[in-house]
Order: sequence, then structure tokens, then C-alpha cells
Amino acid sequence: MSSLLKVEGLSKAFGRVVTADGLNFEIHAGQITSIIGPNGAGKSTLINILSGTLAADAGRVFLEGRDITRLPTHRRVRLGLCRSFQVVNVFPDLTVFENIQIPVLGIVRKAHHVFRSLRRERGVTERVMEVLGQLKLVGRAHDLASELSHGDQRLLEIGIALAVKPKLLFLDEPTAGMNPVERVETLETIRRLSATGRTTFVIVEHDMDIVFSLSDRVMVLHRGEIICDGTAEEVKNDKQTRECYLGEEVIE
Amino acid sequence: MGRYLPYMAFGLLIVLLVCIGLFADRFVLYLTMRVMLLSIFALGYNLLLGRTGLLSFGHAAFYAAGSYGMALFYLHINPDPLLGILAGVGLAVVASLVIGFFCVRHTEIYFAMLTLAFGMMVFSLIWNLRDITGGDDGLVGIGRNPLLGFSIAKDSQYYFLVVFFFALTVWIIHRIRSSPFGLVLAGISENHQRASFAGISIKSYRLAAFVISGAFAGLAGSLGAMLESNSDPFSAHWTHSAEPVLVSLIGGLHTFSGPIVGSVLFVVLREIIERFTQNWMLWLGIILLVIIMGFRGGAMGSAEQYLARWGRKFREESAS
Repeated sequence: MSSLLKVEGLSKAFGRVVTADGLNFEIHAGQITSIIGPNGAGKSTLINILSGTLAADAGRVFLEGRDITRLPTHRRVRLGLCRSFQVVNVFPDLTVFENIQIPVLGIVRKAHHVFRSLRRERGVTERVMEVLGQLKLVGRAHDLASELSHGDQRLLEIGIALAVKPKLLFLDEPTAGMNPVERVETLETIRRLSATGRTTFVIVEHDMDIVFSLSDRVMVLHRGEIICDGTAEEVKNDKQTRECYLGEEVIE
Repeated sequence: MGRYLPYMAFGLLIVLLVCIGLFADRFVLYLTMRVMLLSIFALGYNLLLGRTGLLSFGHAAFYAAGSYGMALFYLHINPDPLLGILAGVGLAVVASLVIGFFCVRHTEIYFAMLTLAFGMMVFSLIWNLRDITGGDDGLVGIGRNPLLGFSIAKDSQYYFLVVFFFALTVWIIHRIRSSPFGLVLAGISENHQRASFAGISIKSYRLAAFVISGAFAGLAGSLGAMLESNSDPFSAHWTHSAEPVLVSLIGGLHTFSGPIVGSVLFVVLREIIERFTQNWMLWLGIILLVIIMGFRGGAMGSAEQYLARWGRKFREESAS
């Protein structure tokens, strides 16, 4: 199994609060990995550091062997590392089509064309329709993003991240705020896309059903440390994890 | 049909401008030129404000850069009008690159205040460097030599050069707005965090928009210097920076034609109101109040909304 992302001695503290305490781990290509942990465990901080919005105090991050510790966000995205957000984070007053068009333009390095008409970019249009097809949002292409239902906006949110063809994609609570039907559909989409092998998913989630049904591997984060790392089964039976986080009633 | 409407409107506008050039008296001619210069200034500016979401209070500096660049080039190097305009725009581009480099690192109030600070610095430089800029007198005696063999010495001749650059500006800004670059600017203004996760280097795009708007300010400035045959230090004053802001607001920030309509309203209303009263500023304030409180989205913005509502009603009625 090849290592896609490698993290070495990653540390971050806000004042006295340590949110990452010398983390060492690897993410393997093709495995759906989940990161769980109680509130304040450092999950969001970890994603923010890995995606380039926060600078780490110490440690290094490698993507496919390349040191990306100091790269700005947009360079990481172009190398194939992207994320989605916990709350709806789209371009609300642009159409659904344009929402996907921006990341596609960004990644094919055509966004800086000042004089060419957008309509002429056939390849970009095709790719946008392909992404919308994956999300089953083709029918809504010309509606404003803000006119979509909450669930569809969450889906579009994932779509914007997928549009850059990431090798590694962090999904921050991808199904938060969705109804049960949308939730099942979104999980199916993630499973299907993961099976194609082009994108490796890392999911941060609170919902244990989702975590245990979807993940090949689960990492438990607690106060900036990884206290357990293994298959869903192993994590369920881990004593320390139960104590600090899961609570007996969750695991029946 | 709807898709061709803007092109028809643009064609009509040019025909109207040519008719004014051929038949109108000198005063109307002069006023129309002022409207076009302000439009060029504001069209470029609104790429930054309406599209990219950055409020600059320092663009008078680039207008002045164009004006003084043109004047200095004319007085010391070469009196050719086209080269002069090129020099003016060139100086404005250099100035906006340098100033923009520092400003685009910040947004919102910090960006606005930085541009204001730089704008004031440029003004005091122009005011104090008497040997170069003429200080409070400005630079005078800018003539209008023939351009490619055509005389532009008279206002009625120069007018058509202004129409040409106005049309060019409208065309370029339209192209930019419907290009990938234009869409990305809109994305940055909507949600800059998400834009960087779309692989977009936000600072470079902000800087590009800043420099483009600076270049058009410079174009307006150099054409203005030729129109008035002098460079005025107060064209760099921060109160002049407010003009493209007000004009874009009056016409409609999020529309393409807003700055043009805003410029017409601004210049014509000032002309009318100043005949009756000294208090143009008071009336401008009242007009702004009415537009901001009553016509959200400016004149063109609310016209669009009204048309859309009316169209929907019409379709519903004909369907039932």
C-alpha cells in the first residue's frame, strides 16, 4: 500500500491549549480513513494545517513524497489536496454551473485568461457537466446556489472539492444537516467515487454509524494525540477510546 | 433575443454619441466628453469594486498618474498624442502595480484605508514636487497635435477620439467580465476562502484587477489632461477618488452598464443643480440617500429587478 500523505512530528498550540502534539501518521491511497474524536480534540485544526489555512508550529507534511509544509493553499490544491467544509461554503450568488466552473478553471490553469469568452471553453464545460452528473445536479445547473435546498448545497460543497480532481480529499462532516435520504445518497456517492480509485477520502465525522459503515481505517484523536488507529472493529473494542470518547451506549 | 439586447444597446449608444458629435453645440459636446471620461474611470474601477469586492479610496492617484504621465511626456519627450496616452497609462500601471502590491494583502476596511493613505501620499508628492509637477499650478500648455494625420485640435474633433477610447473601454471591460478571469473575480468576491480551495491564488487575481482598474483610471486621466490642456493637482485629491465609487453606486455596482448610467446622472445632475444652487453637495447627498435606501442595486440594478419581475408576471398572465 502506497503512502499518499505523510505527517511527521506535527505540533500546534494556541497559547496553552495543545491541539496537535507531535502527530505522526500516514494516509494510504485508496483507503477511506475516518478521523474521530471528542469536541476540541484537534480534528479541525489538523485539517486546517494539512490544507494550508493554518501554519504548524513544528513538523512536516509530505504529499506523495513532496514536502508541502510551507505551500499556500492554492498550490496544495493544484498538487491534488483539497477539502470540503463543515458548514455550507459555496459561492451563493453564482449559478450551480459557475460554482463548479471556478475550481475546474483553477485546476486546468485557464482561470487567468482575460480575453477569451467562457463559452468557448468546451473542455471546461464538459468537465463541469461531468461533475454535476456525478452529483445528480445537472437539472439545477442554471439556478443560483443559494436557491438550492440545504442538502443540495452540501452536495454542491462536495462537488466543488471534487471538481479539482483531488488525489486526497478531506471531508469535514460531509452529511451534517442532511436528511436521512440525502445522507444515504451522499454516502453512496463517496463509496462509489472511492471505488474508482482516483480520489482517496479522509472523513471527519461525529456520526458513528457513518464512520463504522464507511471507513477502512479509523483514527481517534484526543487532546492532540492519536490514541487509537486501526480498523473499525479494533477501534470499537479499544478500551481507551471507549473511556475518553465513545461512551458505552454507542457501541452495542 | 435577450442575448443580443446588450449589443443593440451598445450600438445605439455609439450612434447617439456620433450624432451628438456631429450636431450638438460646444457645451453639450464638452459635457458628453466629461461623461465619457468619468465612465472610463468608473467602468475600470467597478471591475475592482463591483466584481472583486474591493473598495478603493485611492484611484484618483492613478487618474493623476495618467494625467501627469501624459503631460510630462508631452512637455519633455514627445508631443505625439497617442504616445502620450500610452505614457500616461504606462505610468498609471506602474503606480498601481507598486501600490496594489501592498494593498491587496488586506481586505475590507484595511484595504480601503491603505488605498486612501497611498492616494494622499501621491497627492502630497504632486503638491510638493514643484519642479516636476508644477505644484499647485499643475502642468499647463498641453496641446493636441494631429493624430495619425487627423487634426484633433478642436473640441469637435477631439470628441471622436474620446468616443473611440470610450467604446474601446466598454468592449474590453465586457470581454473581461465574460472571461474565465471575470468569473474568478466574482468567485473571489463571493467567497475568497473557497476560491483559494479552487486552486486560485487570490492575491494575484486581486492585484490583476487592481492594475486593470488603475490602467483605465490612467486612460481617463491622460484623456482628461488633453481635454483641459492641463494637469490639475486636485485630480489626485482623495475627494476625486470618491467619484467612481459614487458613480458605481448610483448606477449599480453589480451591473455592467451601471458606471455609465451613473456617470450620465452624476455629470448631468450636477450641471442642472449647480444652475439653481451653490449647494451641489447637499443635493448629491440627498440623491445618494434616495438611491441607497430606495433603489437597492442602483439605477440599473433596480431596473433589472423591475424588468425581471414584470417579465415573470407577464409570463404567468399569458400562461393562465
